Amino acid sequence: MKNKLLKKLLLPLALLLGSFIYAQSVTGTVSDASGPLPGVNVLVKGTSTGTVTDFDGNYTITANSGTTLVFSFVGYLTQEVVVSGSTVNVTLSEDAAQLDEVVVVGYGSTTKKEITSAVTKVGEEEFNRGTINNPSELLQGKVAGLSIYNKGGNPNDDAVIRLRGISTVGSNSSPLIVIDGVIGASLNNVDPSDIESMTVLKDGSAAAIYGSRGSSGVIIVTTKRGKSGSTQVSYNGSVATSSISRTIDRLDGDAFAAAGGTDLGSRTDWLGAVTRSSISNIHNVAISGGYDKTNFRVSTNFRDAQGILDKSGFKQFNTRLQATTAILNDKLKIDFNASYTKRDSDFGFNEALRYAMMYNPTAPIYGVDSPYPFNPDPYGGYFETLGLFDSFNPVSIINQNTNTGSRNEFTYSANFKYAVSDNISLNGLYSEQSSKYTNKEYYRTTSLFRGSATSPTRKGLARLTSGEDKFRLFELYGDYDVAASDKLALKFTGGYSWQEQNYNNYFLSAGDFPNDNLEYIDALEWSQDKINAGFIDINSNRSPNQRIIAFFGRVNATFDDAIYFNASVRREGSTKLGENNKWGTFPAFGLGVDLNKYLQINNVDLFKVRLGYGVTGSLPGQYGLAVARFEPTADLLSTRQVTDANPDLKWEEKAETNFGVEFNMGRFGATLDLYTRKVSDFILERAVDVAVYPTGRRVENGGDLSTKGLELSVNYDFVKTADVTYNMGLVLSTYKTTLDSFDTTTLNGNLGAPGQNDTNVIFVGPGAEIGQIYGPVWTGEVVNGSQTFVDVNGDGNTASSQTSQIIGNAIDADGDGVIDGDLTKLGNGIPDLELGWSHTLKYKKWDVNAFFRGAFGHSLVNNFRVFYEPRVGSQGSYNYVNTKYADPAITNAKFSSLYVEKADFFKLDNISVGYTFDMGEGNKYLKDVRLSLSAQNLFTITGYTGADPEPALQDKGSVDNGGFLGGTANPLIPGIDRRYNYFASRTITFGVNVNF
Amino acid sequence: MKNIYKLFLMCCALLTISACTDLDEVLVGEVGAPFNGEEPSFGDFDGGGSGPSDAVASAFNQLRESGSANHGGYWSIQSVSTDEMAVTQKGGDWYDGGIWIDMHRHTYGPSNGPITGTWGAQYSAIGACNTALASGDLDANQTAQVRALRAFFYYRLLDLYGRVKIVTTPGVDAPQSTRAQVFAFVESELLASLGMSSVLPVLDPSGSALGTSVDSYRINQFAALGLLAKVYMNAEVYTGTPKRAEAAACADYVISNGPYVLCGDGCTVPNAAKRPSVETDPDVLEGYAAVFAPNNQDNPEIIWSIAYDNVSGANMNFAQMTLHYSSQFTWNLQNQPWNGYSALEDFYNSYENTDKRKAANFIVGPQSDYEGSVILDYAATGGDLALDYTTDINELEPNASRKGGARLGKFSFRQGQRDNMDNDYPIIRLGDMYLIRAEAAARIAGNWNVALPDVNTVRARAGVAPLTALTADEFLAERGREMFMEVTRRQDLIRFGKFNDAWWEKPTSAAFRNVFPIPQEQIDASGGTLTQNPGY
Repeated sequence: MKNKLLKKLLLPLALLLGSFIYAQSVTGTVSDASGPLPGVNVLVKGTSTGTVTDFDGNYTITANSGTTLVFSFVGYLTQEVVVSGSTVNVTLSEDAAQLDEVVVVGYGSTTKKEITSAVTKVGEEEFNRGTINNPSELLQGKVAGLSIYNKGGNPNDDAVIRLRGISTVGSNSSPLIVIDGVIGASLNNVDPSDIESMTVLKDGSAAAIYGSRGSSGVIIVTTKRGKSGSTQVSYNGSVATSSISRTIDRLDGDAFAAAGGTDLGSRTDWLGAVTRSSISNIHNVAISGGYDKTNFRVSTNFRDAQGILDKSGFKQFNTRLQATTAILNDKLKIDFNASYTKRDSDFGFNEALRYAMMYNPTAPIYGVDSPYPFNPDPYGGYFETLGLFDSFNPVSIINQNTNTGSRNEFTYSANFKYAVSDNISLNGLYSEQSSKYTNKEYYRTTSLFRGSATSPTRKGLARLTSGEDKFRLFELYGDYDVAASDKLALKFTGGYSWQEQNYNNYFLSAGDFPNDNLEYIDALEWSQDKINAGFIDINSNRSPNQRIIAFFGRVNATFDDAIYFNASVRREGSTKLGENNKWGTFPAFGLGVDLNKYLQINNVDLFKVRLGYGVTGSLPGQYGLAVARFEPTADLLSTRQVTDANPDLKWEEKAETNFGVEFNMGRFGATLDLYTRKVSDFILERAVDVAVYPTGRRVENGGDLSTKGLELSVNYDFVKTADVTYNMGLVLSTYKTTLDSFDTTTLNGNLGAPGQNDTNVIFVGPGAEIGQIYGPVWTGEVVNGSQTFVDVNGDGNTASSQTSQIIGNAIDADGDGVIDGDLTKLGNGIPDLELGWSHTLKYKKWDVNAFFRGAFGHSLVNNFRVFYEPRVGSQGSYNYVNTKYADPAITNAKFSSLYVEKADFFKLDNISVGYTFDMGEGNKYLKDVRLSLSAQNLFTITGYTGADPEPALQDKGSVDNGGFLGGTANPLIPGIDRRYNYFASRTITFGVNVNF
Repeated sequence: MKNIYKLFLMCCALLTISACTDLDEVLVGEVGAPFNGEEPSFGDFDGGGSGPSDAVASAFNQLRESGSANHGGYWSIQSVSTDEMAVTQKGGDWYDGGIWIDMHRHTYGPSNGPITGTWGAQYSAIGACNTALASGDLDANQTAQVRALRAFFYYRLLDLYGRVKIVTTPGVDAPQSTRAQVFAFVESELLASLGMSSVLPVLDPSGSALGTSVDSYRINQFAALGLLAKVYMNAEVYTGTPKRAEAAACADYVISNGPYVLCGDGCTVPNAAKRPSVETDPDVLEGYAAVFAPNNQDNPEIIWSIAYDNVSGANMNFAQMTLHYSSQFTWNLQNQPWNGYSALEDFYNSYENTDKRKAANFIVGPQSDYEGSVILDYAATGGDLALDYTTDINELEPNASRKGGARLGKFSFRQGQRDNMDNDYPIIRLGDMYLIRAEAAARIAGNWNVALPDVNTVRARAGVAPLTALTADEFLAERGREMFMEVTRRQDLIRFGKFNDAWWEKPTSAAFRNVFPIPQEQIDASGGTLTQNPGY
């Protein structure tokens, strides 16, 4: 650094000394720290004379002695040199501005160079392209260690987000979202088009200031803001078409009949009958501007997103208002944000996809085409194979029934920042959020699926769910800056945070409607369940006010502008914990050193090492854990205990240590982070001694968990000329989570009916890695229609009692060094390696972005295959899944290694091509117009035979025969690809951006 | 303008003082203690409702919550581990991780889900009893009832697992007892509820707080004595010391002094399964069949039963558990059944064709729908689509026939049946008492012919000819025919030394299988206070 500075100073000086004025040809070489720099603009100041350096960084220009040459290039500091001779060699230095880039961190902001923890900022330029309906998808694959998967891509589903794997078992395992300073904000209430940047606080030392809610990491969203100056109007619009990208191989009608299936005479492509090429469009209009000390931005967004499944998608309206002003002689700055989202969803029925996979391909859609006498009237005209378990005409499901919902979210926040003096400021923030939702399902009296069309008395079903989630936040904090000496600057931050959350909801289910004239969801008074006891299901809930209260303090110290240190402590309390354990104290510190300032390695711009350590607490998801709770028995005359109290419940603690290295050399940049995190006393519901606790289960501080991981991101500018730039970025991450201590060993993840109940496939036990898939190993041989299994423990016995999915077959209970049964590890549900590979190419007004994404080392239990690939004779009316693994000799269904597949994948996640028309000064109406064409999910390379090889990071359990899926997902059970997942789609988007 | 700043600070100060550290959790809409409703809020619903509403209702409700007549719990492990019935693997259906094959072949282990669940359900029930007893709300009669009820749940644990913890105070742990200790506890609790110190030489319950009037949903003296008879009958298995005279005394007292009679000819209820257009469907159910009918709430043979009701007393699901999917159309079932359980052919064949119990206990042959038309199974193999329950089953696994095996029809169904049935489930009934008295007497005498009078009483009601001589095996078979589906078969086979024998699709099993393993999950959760039964 020092010699560069010297050069900068000396070179112009030397040139100046020898200068005298005459026109001459000036030549030279322009280089940067890593060598010659092609494409640098060289301009004689005050003229239009200019040139560009060639591939070797050389240039020739005619300039008078004494005139000034201006050397400029994107990403570098512009340098001016006075001509004093025929040779002017220049070394450009990188624009250090990127190091001074402001990064928002907890309760304040800092510059990038001062950061002492693993923080990644992703700006709008780097966001994923195409049709993106959920803000989290903008980041998918972009941040090392941040896993975002919306398996199947259902437009109505939120993605599962995990930072560095699971950080807790029984509580919030998704990162905290902070939108414009409002912690705990809802990602559903911000439109992706309004986002300026997202910053991910990855390690404990950075997130600790946010306390328990930041325990699983923090994603800070900064929305676009108005700037003073002229009013600007922009329009972004896109239209997209999606189609199903991957399906599961199965037999067609002819092959099914030939394979011994019951031939019902027709040939139906059921998947084709329930899916479509969908059209989605997005419109966004934003007005921003300001004058003097006030600025604003208002945007409105409209989205009409259609899913590839018939009758699935949503329409959404969102508006966001931001206004900032300063009063009291600029001492008080007021910032106001408000946003409102209204989404009307058509959830459709994922079940239609499931039954499309397995419904008899020779069955007709309509009853009139039935090969045997069949009265279709009770079934709305549709054909049904009656008397089969778990078999419903998929077209009837979609066409006869409705499953819709609407959600209204409103958020506002007001932030007051008062500058008490030059170095003291106070901040006060108040925010409220409300989310109201109503979901409606209606099943016609003629629907076999949930509508009980076969019932003699009770046909039709309506379900209504409604509720409101509320959140209030008040925070107060202050900053105090001290310049202790020339070399030492200190900044103190202290504050208080008060958060209150509550919800209420009600649910109503009633059926037995008189006819099919109406959708009786809106005329429930006709439910004949009213006169028939016991069928109406109603309940309502209201949570207590769940509060988190915290006091926090932090000190930031900067020494010599090269050594950065910060330490924070947070004292936090929660209503959810036991009486004596409500409060916890959580410290954190971070240290960063810019080593290059002292080592001064040649050509290296930045070499920073940093170390962070932070402790955060985690809270249980439920409330009321300190008391026993009871529910009414079916006769409403007595009670049944549902929970056992745990008055000693205490904070779960997560301690994380992060070591990072940041390195920049010319066009090359890299960041490496190594971390270990230890979660102690994690909170979960588990089995307890039922003799003492009558429900047999209790929420407890159950055990310890640890994660070790590595994250690497690398960036390189291959080409950097005035006309062409090409940048490549690579992010890699890997981690392993181990359950260090836990008192029970269990198999979880029941595959379900038909025939696979009590088939639990995911191992959870002390000392074991999270996400291991266990089962018997198929030998490759089939005897009498059954798979034979490997005698894993070598005891000469492979009977069903040795291969059934019970934990006793997976452990060595008697401690003789041999596993007691024949179950063994078949795979892991969590990837070993996740990769994102981005390419940005710009040529004049063209821009091309390509982003590849992959995950490797994870396996999935392919449920469609477990259930429907065996050629079960007695089930000849279901279609057979027929992947490359299908063995027609297998005629009965038993889970084994055969159905656990490696799901490594590498995909072109999105690619886009854009062209910007610069309308120039002359155009009165338009500034510029950008057209773009994007494709998402163009191709996926994988050996997985299921619909989507993306990891299943959590599990919601099994559901069958028209049952209803529960809402809670278990993070300890990754790796099961269920039959209710949506199917991945391929999307082509045409976009227009206009700035007026 | 400085006022704003002041205001700001004042607000903060206020907050700091009052609400700022308030972390009390105030629950809304939650019940924090058990209670019992005051008034029945609805009338009987065919099946007698869910029983009376009183201070012991929460405890008695546990009879339904503890797996007494539904899939995957107490009833299932007691039944599927015997030669009465099996849950076969039908290709892709009902493999369920092999747990039912394990149950049938006696290869179950300590992680078997239903074995774990059954343990938990009995202790939950015991917890409710302990809570009721600790509440101080019970009168002497109710206290005696709940102690007897708790003894019943401990009797189940004694029978299934042997070595369990005897917990009698809510939330207070107890050490693991030996099987003999658990037996002694059950015996002493029942005797205490009966106000006696022993049943011999003279059985005199006059000091008992329990009542004597008929009340099949609660425990009277006859119910407690009936239970004691069953406990004593198996005492030798539990402790090594027989208590045959005690068993005989209890059963005899119930038969001789109770107001109960066997439901024979003329003891009828309307046939709730009658299809109007099917003439062969009888209008009434009579005798043995009436004892287990959906409308059996007033049956004169039932001493103590579990009150099931399709609305208010859930958890009897035999129709769903046993019937083929398409049989939905015979009874117009509200929901599609599951095609799980069927009787073993040898067991079915142990009945004479004229035995009225055979017709009552099983559903076999071609099936017809509500209108009497043949029911078709479109997923059937072999071209014959008609649903026809065969008495034989081709194999236990992996590709058992979907229509193989007689179906369990003893607790008969009714038209429009919901998932939850109305039939009350007898815990103590007179037929059982006759057979216990007979067996105890025969064992004391060392001569099975001593059992003939009582055996023939039971046979007469079933419409079969009296026997003139008996062997142990014949007695066991007779008891099997009478008590099918009433969870005595496993006990009986063990008592007669037959539980470890080979039968259809089951090899001989080791003697340690006569108790189930202690659930591994509970051993893990107990912190070392529970140890495994020998052999597992």
